Amino acid sequence: MVLDLTMSMAILAFMGALATIAGCLEDLESDVGSQSNPNSQVQLAPQMNFLHRIYNKAISGEPISNGLSAVIGGIVTTVMLNAKFFPLTAIVLGAFVAAIIYGIFATTSYAGRVASQSRFKQPLYMDIMRYTTPSIIAHNFIVCLCLVALAYIQSQILVPAHPFSIPFLALIWGISVGAIGSSVGDVHYGAEREFQNREFGCGLNTALSGRIVRRAESGLRNSIDNVWFCAKYGGPVTGIALGLTVFLSSWPTTVFGYTWIAIGVGVAIVLVMVILNRLLEINVKNAYGPYKEEKNEKEAAA
Amino acid sequence: MSEIKETSPNTLMAFGVIGGLLGIYLTYILPLAGNAAGGPVKGLLTTIAPAAGALGGICAIVWGAEAVRRVAKYGLGTGVPSIGQIAMGMGIIAAMFGLSIVGQLTLAGPIVALLTASVIGLIIGWFAQNVIKMKIPVMIRCMTEIAAAGSLVIIGFSAAAAGSFEFGSLITLVFDNGIILGVFWIGAMAMLHPFNACLGPDEKQKRLLYLAFSTGAITMAVTGIAGIMTLGNAGIFTLLVGVVIWLIFYKKFWDEVYKDAASVLGTGLIPKTEA
Repeated sequence: MVLDLTMSMAILAFMGALATIAGCLEDLESDVGSQSNPNSQVQLAPQMNFLHRIYNKAISGEPISNGLSAVIGGIVTTVMLNAKFFPLTAIVLGAFVAAIIYGIFATTSYAGRVASQSRFKQPLYMDIMRYTTPSIIAHNFIVCLCLVALAYIQSQILVPAHPFSIPFLALIWGISVGAIGSSVGDVHYGAEREFQNREFGCGLNTALSGRIVRRAESGLRNSIDNVWFCAKYGGPVTGIALGLTVFLSSWPTTVFGYTWIAIGVGVAIVLVMVILNRLLEINVKNAYGPYKEEKNEKEAAA
Repeated sequence: MSEIKETSPNTLMAFGVIGGLLGIYLTYILPLAGNAAGGPVKGLLTTIAPAAGALGGICAIVWGAEAVRRVAKYGLGTGVPSIGQIAMGMGIIAAMFGLSIVGQLTLAGPIVALLTASVIGLIIGWFAQNVIKMKIPVMIRCMTEIAAAGSLVIIGFSAAAAGSFEFGSLITLVFDNGIILGVFWIGAMAMLHPFNACLGPDEKQKRLLYLAFSTGAITMAVTGIAGIMTLGNAGIFTLLVGVVIWLIFYKKFWDEVYKDAASVLGTGLIPKTEA
């Protein structure tokens, strides 16, 4: 199948959309379980006598855990495609198996981490386990579905086809989505949500470590409340980051082919990004100024 | 913690090396025995042979998880996933080198791979200890063990997906279609997850080992799914055995969690503390 420019652009736009959804859901999924960077505060809280009702999902960092689910999805999809399933059915089944295995890993890490904190009297809440784990599985299912679909498009539909196999491409997408989710989205859960009762932008003083917010607008805060908060901004912005990465990195070669013009356009995009980032940085520095040290911090430093 | 009786590292090392190599070699011996016997026995033995490789892989994962535990106990919180990844990195290089260098002497492959991995692990451990100066007393020994376990995991699960550990068949049945990435990544997770998931001051070896069996069984089940594509019925057998082992050890893990946790509540408010 030879693709004309319109069709290539349509597929590219579709890939961008898939990546946006995957990125958004990936960040929200990591917030449901308190994975990655914010996990350290959840882990530390019982030690500071701050017992909580928040899920402690420590399946390694986001790149590795999403790589895990994506590669399982890729393998199962390859097996299904080999057995002459329809591509969409194969991808859905692959993502389903991957998400279930991911959920199993999530339950063992919550149970294991809490059981290893018994001296701080942190209870293991089974209702949290029961209604948070399906949410993790559901989020991960959509992430995995999008990523395996991306891998399928790259290796089976695009012309020229990508030489790598579906599990390989899915793994690379899993690592990428985890890395972007970890770097873009984490701050909206970690610094903003867990320390919501502190002044915005105050930085995390060592004395505050583990002193996370445990009470919600009504009742005790749990991981579903956290994902509700992050879905307003942190998740979508992560999705846009991954979607733009996919779209802008493939757009020049789709429009101009594998030529020097495409490379020039790519360099131009990078330059524009650098300038925009610099302008943003200057703007933020002017608006908020340098970090003001508190008095006791200065004393401690002296 | 010393009053709790733990399985010694040497016992687990013996379990990993002997169990791992035994499983791997059974994938070679069972079909031979089947050919000699002929008839229905032949079909049966060829079907169950690949699962033996995966069982060997599980032995290696349990050994590796315990080695990760000993080295990561020195405060490598975020370093635990890195240790698992480096284990499989060292393991896959050694496994490919060992299996390909032996040429026609297929049987020598796993042993050569194991020795190569140990040497690579020793060198990396020595560098971590003496050049980067990480000052972890068990670093050199544990790195060697982790690398060796990694090579056995790679060979064991690859053999389970390809039906043999002969390098030529691995290339077509495991490398070309990308199954090796699953073996690599899920194997690494299986090895690093037990300690990562049980990390904390009240971590217990028994619970961790049960979890290592269960994550190893998940790797076996996924290898079985992959094996359905490459081997047919043998893959289904591997998948079923993996699921059964997983059920047993997941249950055992939860029994330990119920025993070890401060309290297991259906629901409830946060207990009162000083904070």
